[in-house]
Amino acid sequence: MIFKAIQTLSVGLAASVVLAQGLLTAQQKLPSFDSLPDWSGIWQMQGGTIFDGSTVEPKNGRSGEAWVRERPPYTPEFEKLYQQNIEKIAAGRLPDPVNTCGRPHGFPRAMNLPDVYEFVVRPEQTWIVGENGPNIIRVYTDGRPHPPADEMWPTYSGDSVGRWEGDTLVFDTVSTKGFLIDEDVIVDRTGLILSERSHTVTRMRKIDDSTIEAVMTIEDEKALAKPWVVTKRYRKAPAGSRAYDYACAENNRNPTTDSGQTLTLGPDGKPIDKKID
Amino acid sequence: MKPARLHIVAALFVAGAVATPVVAHHSGAMFDNTKTVELTGTVKEFQWTNPHIWIQIERQNTGGAKEEWSVEGGSPNSLSRNGWRKTTFAPGTAVSIRVNPMRDGSHAGNFVGAKFADGKTIGRWE
Repeated sequence: MIFKAIQTLSVGLAASVVLAQGLLTAQQKLPSFDSLPDWSGIWQMQGGTIFDGSTVEPKNGRSGEAWVRERPPYTPEFEKLYQQNIEKIAAGRLPDPVNTCGRPHGFPRAMNLPDVYEFVVRPEQTWIVGENGPNIIRVYTDGRPHPPADEMWPTYSGDSVGRWEGDTLVFDTVSTKGFLIDEDVIVDRTGLILSERSHTVTRMRKIDDSTIEAVMTIEDEKALAKPWVVTKRYRKAPAGSRAYDYACAENNRNPTTDSGQTLTLGPDGKPIDKKID
Repeated sequence: MKPARLHIVAALFVAGAVATPVVAHHSGAMFDNTKTVELTGTVKEFQWTNPHIWIQIERQNTGGAKEEWSVEGGSPNSLSRNGWRKTTFAPGTAVSIRVNPMRDGSHAGNFVGAKFADGKTIGRWE
């Protein structure tokens, strides 16, 4: 028994040493701050809030308009769920979940926000900060892996770890909530969805002085029949631009009813809609 | 950077921003984007607040009675970066505002553009 305990402890210690050495090695390999690209400033996503502009139908369709959709390589189950959302959008009965104010949009929707972004780069971590929020994606680049399965639970933003490949930030995101766990998690206002099994590899780099590009390769064994590649671009705002509070609850005159109707309140705080269901 | 160049960069940024729907935080199903209504009257109140700004405008309807409309715009954050100020629609200002009205005929709409008494415009006004 004692021998067994010592053996277990030894194995555990050895594993810890190996793990620590692994982290140490990773830390030693961290790039210097000066070698990292300059992503400072304020950035605005280009092209509206359709998540996958390359497959949108109709071609100039906007997020939230009736019958606008994209063509992810969905499984039959998720194509059916997406269709149901599209029908609810057309009927005005799929409110944007962020209407409730205070809830993160989640990943990958956090890469698909209106208003502006800040990208804070350090050797050990990058922060993707969405002004429209609360939305912060924390990307750890200090060599750590994702936590063990029993230490993770599905969250809006998931868990992101990555590394620098030259001027490109490559990161891996798992453990997001997804639509099957929480029907309030959508990817854009066409009703686009993924599952909690989504696994995204994002490659971000500056493609010119004023443009950062993020290419996301999304795998999802429940939602997607094959990997789905989506590209988003962010343009640099004029020097001196600022980001501000996005205080969604400050004066939200568009609450939603239990039936999914988005109301419009008058200045007195009472609905001015003629019909409320 | 020379001021003139800054101006061009700012104009490009604005052009990019215009393509973004004004209603960014909630469903826009209540507004009819195929219709535009022009409201001419006086600003009663300007709510320079998140998540959306609101302009309360009073106009006389065809019967001569006062009628108040609620006009919803983008966030003060985005609008301020595109030239709007907290005083752009100061109470008492005479203005014409074009909106995509609510589908159900309620007196509210989504901001499209505005023209002031001095001929200056903001938003889309062709």
